[in-house]
Amino acid sequence: MADEFPFEISPMYEGERVRKDGMFVELGGPKSMGLELVRAADMDAIEDDQVTIVGPDIKEMEEGKTYPWAMVFNIAGELVEADLESVVERRVHDFVNYCQGIMHLNQRYDVWMRISKDTAGKMSSLKDFGQAVMMLFKTELPFIEKMQATFYTDEAAVKAQMDNAMEVFKVRDARTKDLHDEDVDVFYGCTLCQAFAPTSVCVVTPDRVALCGAINWFDGRAAAKVDPEGPQFELEKGEVIDELSGEYAGVNAIAKKLSGGEFDRIKIHSFFEFPHTSCGCFEVVGFYIPEVDGIGWINREFQGDAPNGLTFSTMAGQTGGGKQVVGFLGVGVNYFYSPKFIQSDGGWNRVVWLPASFKEKIAEAIPADIIDKIATEAEAPDVNALKAFLQEKNHPVVANWAEEEAEEDEEEEEEGEAETAVAVSPMMMPAGGFQMPAMPMMSGGTGGGIKLTIKNAKITIGKMIVSETKAKK
Amino acid sequence: MGYSVTKIIAITGKGGTGKTAVAALLIRYLCKNDKFLLAVDADADTNLPETLGCEVKQTIGDAKEFLQEVATNPRPDQPDTNKVSLLQSKIYEIIEEMPCYDLLVMGRPEGSGCYCYVNNLLRGIMDKLVQNYDVVVMDTEAGLEHFSRKIVRDIDSLIVVTDASRRGFRTAERIRELVDELEANVKNVYVIANKVTDVNRDQIEKLAGDLGLDLIGMVPLDPKVEELDIGGIPLSELPDDSIAVREVENIAKKLGL
Repeated sequence: MADEFPFEISPMYEGERVRKDGMFVELGGPKSMGLELVRAADMDAIEDDQVTIVGPDIKEMEEGKTYPWAMVFNIAGELVEADLESVVERRVHDFVNYCQGIMHLNQRYDVWMRISKDTAGKMSSLKDFGQAVMMLFKTELPFIEKMQATFYTDEAAVKAQMDNAMEVFKVRDARTKDLHDEDVDVFYGCTLCQAFAPTSVCVVTPDRVALCGAINWFDGRAAAKVDPEGPQFELEKGEVIDELSGEYAGVNAIAKKLSGGEFDRIKIHSFFEFPHTSCGCFEVVGFYIPEVDGIGWINREFQGDAPNGLTFSTMAGQTGGGKQVVGFLGVGVNYFYSPKFIQSDGGWNRVVWLPASFKEKIAEAIPADIIDKIATEAEAPDVNALKAFLQEKNHPVVANWAEEEAEEDEEEEEEGEAETAVAVSPMMMPAGGFQMPAMPMMSGGTGGGIKLTIKNAKITIGKMIVSETKAKK
Repeated sequence: MGYSVTKIIAITGKGGTGKTAVAALLIRYLCKNDKFLLAVDADADTNLPETLGCEVKQTIGDAKEFLQEVATNPRPDQPDTNKVSLLQSKIYEIIEEMPCYDLLVMGRPEGSGCYCYVNNLLRGIMDKLVQNYDVVVMDTEAGLEHFSRKIVRDIDSLIVVTDASRRGFRTAERIRELVDELEANVKNVYVIANKVTDVNRDQIEKLAGDLGLDLIGMVPLDPKVEELDIGGIPLSELPDDSIAVREVENIAKKLGL
């Protein structure tokens, strides 16, 4: 790649392991402290290509020893801004590893490096190494116009850099945590689960972690950069169709493509309408409880029954497989902390039940005015107890019950006047596409058909045939 | 780095057939021949480290659990942590560095929850790691659980170790079928008969022939191996003139190692 450096430079050295036997020195790592930091600076504050070494240089180091290590890179350029620091910093790992005989592991304040005897022998100073890395940065990231590096190997100096860096990381993390769907142009898709849920399309956004709980927006970004053809890939948001429910043209397009045409709409913050697909890996499953018009959530670890009489695994079986199952939704635990948590369906005001241990675990995510109104298995082992609990606590869903009842009364009156009593039979259900879970929650009523309450609905029906079911012999 | 081809050998077989001993002897041979190698203990009932005479503190199972915890933390302090590099660092840290080989232990099974992501990262890391070595020797359980996860993807030779029992041979047959079923990328499947005596030698050859198994070697019952085993002394201490050592040398040559 470049002749002016004493060692070879190539991406093929990524993953190279410098063994203890072949190692000249170890920098940072589990036995010491190691730091890397990238800071943006003004153009005139940087001496381009300069490497400063504070503490012993390679020739003053003793073979086989471990030294504390801090490397601070300053970058400048017209397009360089503080927000780019962490993105640039993540590349340190790549570029250091491109250097033959230099092993780099981990990141931030856990950096661990080893320099092989062979490479150490070829270098006259760590400056060679620093200049090689900066050459790579400026070649691969041309927006960096000027760059300088300072390497610290003196313990006190490393310690001072570490203290300073911790503050920088703290500020950076606060900013990162504050990133939302509306702040970015791309989301990430993940198809890892398509092996067993072939139509599952996982959409990972700043406000919605993957269903497995393991992949957040930043992981998607990192993976997509390394391997754009891999299981995590960039997904252009495209036109915002509805911000509240989280519907985006780009997500719909990719949903259609990846599900093989099975779905063409996904609303990422919706529970009832075009919900996100559920793979099978999800940490928590949400379930609609029609008797109280609320949503309960049950986590994988909880062994008991939900008020609907079902366990996590039963509902997971019902929900999984990469389908949009209205009435059930798989999510990652992190999603409970999202400010957009099922926001198109009332968010937390719609949550009526959680297992006690899980409720405790995510307590800080639950708004203070609702937390005591959410039942657990202790107060509400079944639907009747749940109903009583919600009424007693005056849970927000209770207000909807009153509304519904009022509407029903009106409907009944109207019906009475028009004298067109149409018996609504359960067999009409599948026609609507609204697959109400065919579970015990449907029964337990007084029998004789079901009650349908439709609000603000626009229904277009091409053809509908209602016929008497003939008794089979 | 820069070794053109890494040979990956997996050794398996029914419990008690002495597959770990065969693995240890193969490692002993490769060390003597200055091969740079990675030994992987992929058996839940870990005993390769003991047989080799080293101690392993942490396993890949621990590293996976560590990453799973970081990855699924609902309130991450640093949401933009690069998890590949975090897991890679952990794996590189738990590699036991012995004078002529590196050792990794797979260790405990996964907990509940979804490990798709962690396993996917691990595959990428292992792909790169194995390239550092001339040879990778895996001691793996007969169930081939790690094969189905494809943590190590391409196996050059899968060796089934059997004793003189019909049960051992049946395991060999089953493993051969399993390899096809799992669509694992295995180039060759061989059988090594272990604890062979003059009494059962001919019968073993016949049995292997009848079952259509590729018998690549017969390791004789070696009193020296038994002596070390009972004393808990690592098999790397075996003298060069041990009959078991000599047969494993022949096998290694046949495998092109």
